[in-house]
Amino acid sequence: MKILAVCQSGLGSSFMVQMNVQQILKDENVDVDANDITVDHSDVGSATADSADYFFVESTLADALGSIPKERIVLLKSLIDKKETAEHVNYVLDNENIAHD
Amino acid sequence: MLNDLLNQETVQLTDATDLSWETAIRLAAKPLVANGSVTEQYVNSMIDVVNDQGPYINIGDHIALAHTRPENGSNRISLALLKTNHDIALVNQYHPITLWFVLSAVDSESHLEVIKQLMTLLTNEATVKQLMAASSAEDLLTIIHSRNE
Repeated sequence: MKILAVCQSGLGSSFMVQMNVQQILKDENVDVDANDITVDHSDVGSATADSADYFFVESTLADALGSIPKERIVLLKSLIDKKETAEHVNYVLDNENIAHD
Repeated sequence: MLNDLLNQETVQLTDATDLSWETAIRLAAKPLVANGSVTEQYVNSMIDVVNDQGPYINIGDHIALAHTRPENGSNRISLALLKTNHDIALVNQYHPITLWFVLSAVDSESHLEVIKQLMTLLTNEATVKQLMAASSAEDLLTIIHSRNE
């Protein structure tokens, strides 16, 4: 399962989200190797439906991901609110039947 | 690294009530233009991307991180902070901003340590509360430097 954090430039905010997601996976004691989970970041222009299973993006950029199925897009109100990101990560984990705390 | 980049020169605070989001970004970036970290073109580009793409630089409650691609006039990794004591609407009223960070990078990798440290600072709710309440640039610096050693 691959999670891709996306932002307009692919420079700053998407990396922040990537770091948060990785930290949350660790906090939730998810076995990322056994479940083959990868987390990466990219700019919105290079993100295609094939590049990941789930796309985490700041909510005002949602339209820029128009070609990607809505159910695979996770909209974030805040990029630095760990609680919000954790809720979304747990939703994705449940959706994929991956064990977590 | 954050401690070097955010210093007496690059951290500012203003009481101004009449700033637009464009002028707030220009003011926040002024020290970086003055010390040659970024060009005037870089500043224009940061504003253009918000005009084109919307207020996505609103990375958290009352916090903006203005930046654009390195090729738009960035000479080195740099970071600046402006606190506007009065909230300023970024594009619209749903995005009020108090802390305006400006970031420049030179490629896609070398500034990631700065982002990491900035995230450590901003994901700490107590620190953010203190920054929001700071009444001088010195206060802002003290908070940043004491949290990030």
